[in-house]
Amino acid sequence: MPRLSRRIYLTAGAAIVVAGVSGCSEVARRVAPARHMGKIPPLPSTGDLSPAVRVLNRAAFGPSPGDVAQVTKTGIAAWIERQLDAPLGPETDESEVWQMRLRLRNIDVLHNESYDLLDWQGDEVRAQLQQAALLRAVYSPHQLRERMVDFWSNHFNIYARKKVGGNDSSPELVEVYAARDNANVIRSHALGTFPQMLQQSARSPAMLGYLDNQLNKKGVANENYARELMELHTLGVDGGYTQKDVQELARCLTGWTVEDRFLRNRGTFLYDDTLHDDGEKVVLGVRFPAGEGERDGIKALDLLARHPSCAHFISKKLVRYFHGMEDEVLIRETAEIYRKTGGEIKPMVAHLLNSPALISSPPIMKRPFDFVVSTLRATNAETDGKSGVMEHLEKMGQSLFQWPMPDGYPDKTASWTGSLLARWNFALALSQNNVKGTSIDFGADSSPEGLVQRLLGRRPDDPVLADLLEAVRNVAPADRVALMLASPIFQWR
Amino acid sequence: MKENLWSFCDGDGNVSGAASRPILTRRQAIQGGLVTVISSYLGASSLTEVAFASPGSESERDLLVVLFLRGAADGLSIVAPYGEDDYYRLRPTLGLAKPAGKKQPAAGRLSDLNGFFGLHPALDGLYPYYEQGMMAAVHAVGSFDRSRSHFEAMMTMERGAPDQKGKDPSGWLARFLNAVPTANPTPLRAVAFNTVTPDSLRGATAVTTIPSLNDYRLDLPKPDMKKHGATVGTKAINTALTALYGKGDDEVTRSGRATLTVLETLRRSDPASYKPANGAKYPETGLGSGLRQVAFLRRQNLGLEVACLDRGGWDTHVGQGGAVGWLALQLKDVGDSLAAFAKDLGNDGLKRVTIVVMTEFGRRARENSGLGTDHGRASAMFLLGGGVHGGKVYGKWPGLKSENMEDGMDLKVATDYRCILAEMIAKRLGGGNKIAAIFPDGNIPPPLGIFKG
Repeated sequence: MPRLSRRIYLTAGAAIVVAGVSGCSEVARRVAPARHMGKIPPLPSTGDLSPAVRVLNRAAFGPSPGDVAQVTKTGIAAWIERQLDAPLGPETDESEVWQMRLRLRNIDVLHNESYDLLDWQGDEVRAQLQQAALLRAVYSPHQLRERMVDFWSNHFNIYARKKVGGNDSSPELVEVYAARDNANVIRSHALGTFPQMLQQSARSPAMLGYLDNQLNKKGVANENYARELMELHTLGVDGGYTQKDVQELARCLTGWTVEDRFLRNRGTFLYDDTLHDDGEKVVLGVRFPAGEGERDGIKALDLLARHPSCAHFISKKLVRYFHGMEDEVLIRETAEIYRKTGGEIKPMVAHLLNSPALISSPPIMKRPFDFVVSTLRATNAETDGKSGVMEHLEKMGQSLFQWPMPDGYPDKTASWTGSLLARWNFALALSQNNVKGTSIDFGADSSPEGLVQRLLGRRPDDPVLADLLEAVRNVAPADRVALMLASPIFQWR
Repeated sequence: MKENLWSFCDGDGNVSGAASRPILTRRQAIQGGLVTVISSYLGASSLTEVAFASPGSESERDLLVVLFLRGAADGLSIVAPYGEDDYYRLRPTLGLAKPAGKKQPAAGRLSDLNGFFGLHPALDGLYPYYEQGMMAAVHAVGSFDRSRSHFEAMMTMERGAPDQKGKDPSGWLARFLNAVPTANPTPLRAVAFNTVTPDSLRGATAVTTIPSLNDYRLDLPKPDMKKHGATVGTKAINTALTALYGKGDDEVTRSGRATLTVLETLRRSDPASYKPANGAKYPETGLGSGLRQVAFLRRQNLGLEVACLDRGGWDTHVGQGGAVGWLALQLKDVGDSLAAFAKDLGNDGLKRVTIVVMTEFGRRARENSGLGTDHGRASAMFLLGGGVHGGKVYGKWPGLKSENMEDGMDLKVATDYRCILAEMIAKRLGGGNKIAAIFPDGNIPPPLGIFKG
């Protein structure tokens, strides 16, 4: 019985649920034209935004009460420095607040081997993956690390519902590998080095299953992973590779698969020499002599990660993510850091966050995950991260680990403006304490001015807020909270 | 006037009963001109400006329904060249059985289209429309994008122009909507049944992107929440949101204003209670439900001009199947959903409707070892509606001999897909003098004569 490819499977489910969410409903996400080059829709005024708020909006998931004061007190540069030094890996270090460890303690997907998860019923694996991601983004003091996790989770997107084995009544889904992928690829390298992250990703059962490399064998190459590896993970579509390079790269990666034999360490990476095409290959003009076995793949990944196009492609994505535009100078500088350091992520991010341009860069519309997390942080909400809040996120169109195509959730404003109603409804439900498993406390000062400071971290005398203050003046406190979160200004970061 | 007459009649010309009764009153009001008083609920909000087209102003244009098959649908199975031996040589397992006889659909066999091409058996629901001359196919059609990348090809096709770097990144439908302005300001002018706006509509000023009309409402505080100090006022919330989103020309505030207008429009009608006419039964699928809602909007006469729907499931690298199997299941949904839509509207209703079914590229001519097909080049398109010269398969056929194929392995693109869209815009959508604005790169081949008008 042939296995269904990723797209076949995923689109089946989606088509039944919602017209068109299936497959790749939104399309040209990767290569959006530079904002300053095309006709750009007007952007709103950011008003008198304090640098601390801007930094918290970009390097963190927005301010929680007290954050602005703390960043100001610490000093922005020192705060960034501290964030950059976040420990990678699981939350065991002393600096992680104890609540964080307690919150995650009962999320079993984080503590089980992939293979154990096969026995789980229903949507529990996926629900826990989403829960962990949300709780970490909302509560972790290492906000920049969680930001980078968001960035890389989209860069190395995994669609959790891709079927990779089993049968129709008991399908084996990529989601069982997703927690390991998240821990070993994304979180461990979020501020590490890109070439290492890439090597890890290529050995991740989740990625191998998601992009069909486990079907990539000598004589019957499957190009799916090889193509996305060049197009989306490293070089970019204009990165200077050919169809022939895709085919040759696929040959290099034959035999990179997932252990599936009885009484072995099932569900882990396996290089199977018997499936490897050991002939000579040429990738991007570089000759790979015959007989190199697993080294073919390792060398090819290294070749991609050290390619100038990769430095440029990763830099451009980082600049877009933090600065909301494609500034050629910043991209060049960041790519230069990539080249000098061999792809170290920390100095690139440091450069972008410390750049004075960060403060004056154009506003970025929050994606739904950003919106929900920043809302929960602003309201100091207590949330279990379970279905109550997740249903809202799903309605906004960004249910985590659910983006079927390998390019990650789109980062363009136009892709998300259709979700405003779902955002308003979340704001209304939250302010009424009507989201299951989530509650907020209004706090003492519910005057419009007090709420503006607390929820938006802004000075009430900022002229850009005049309309907002006026609109909420004559409504009840709960509605005030809802309207501030639903307001245009809160949709941007 | 026909435009308005059919919309509250069933397919037989009778005014239908319960389903449309509450609507009728309002429609009579609409027909009288503009709806001026919808504001009692909203107080002095800006929504009072909402107006509907007076009858006739948009009636020169068809309702356009674009169904995009995302993931590269296999044109060689959908409209199979059974008259060519190479087809069976390249598709020893996946090749579909020749028609049993002329114009006789038989289970498991292709339905004959013209003695050379056959329609996939799972599309039986559409065959009657082909026979009646309301549906046409175009084969060996595609775009100039040769990347064989889903993303690139979809982007190219939906933008309707090659390399857009540094240019206006809008989509062809957006440029159409902008080039052919309307007196009708409803945000329901263009609807994408989706959670994200497709690139074809990118840059349009009023696009509503919604998975389902039924969910489109503001969930206001429940009365028992009063204890938390809410005003529980629909009016207060609406007024405040209207004020908050009242100014600004950025994408968020513009979208917010459109959202408020749609909310108000849908509050006054009820998509969930819509009853299809003519005994049409939509499949219980996303596509079926989407088309059902398109029919609702059409019958409500809410100013819908462009509807975009997507259907995935076409990236059949493995286990594609033949007359039955994976691909057949996908096609069955497409065929039955479109047939239900056509039946619901009735032949009269279809007179001013054009449906386009397209995909970003086709699949490799030779089946692969996994009994699937890899990324190819040209595929097939369908056009359905009263304005289509149907019952024909259009386009030059390059054939499946390796020397005639692109890179020796993929069906060549013999027809530029823009040539079909351009003819449609000119003849059915009233944009004949705007083609240069909609497809700015020009070089569009002459029309194939698919459309009436």
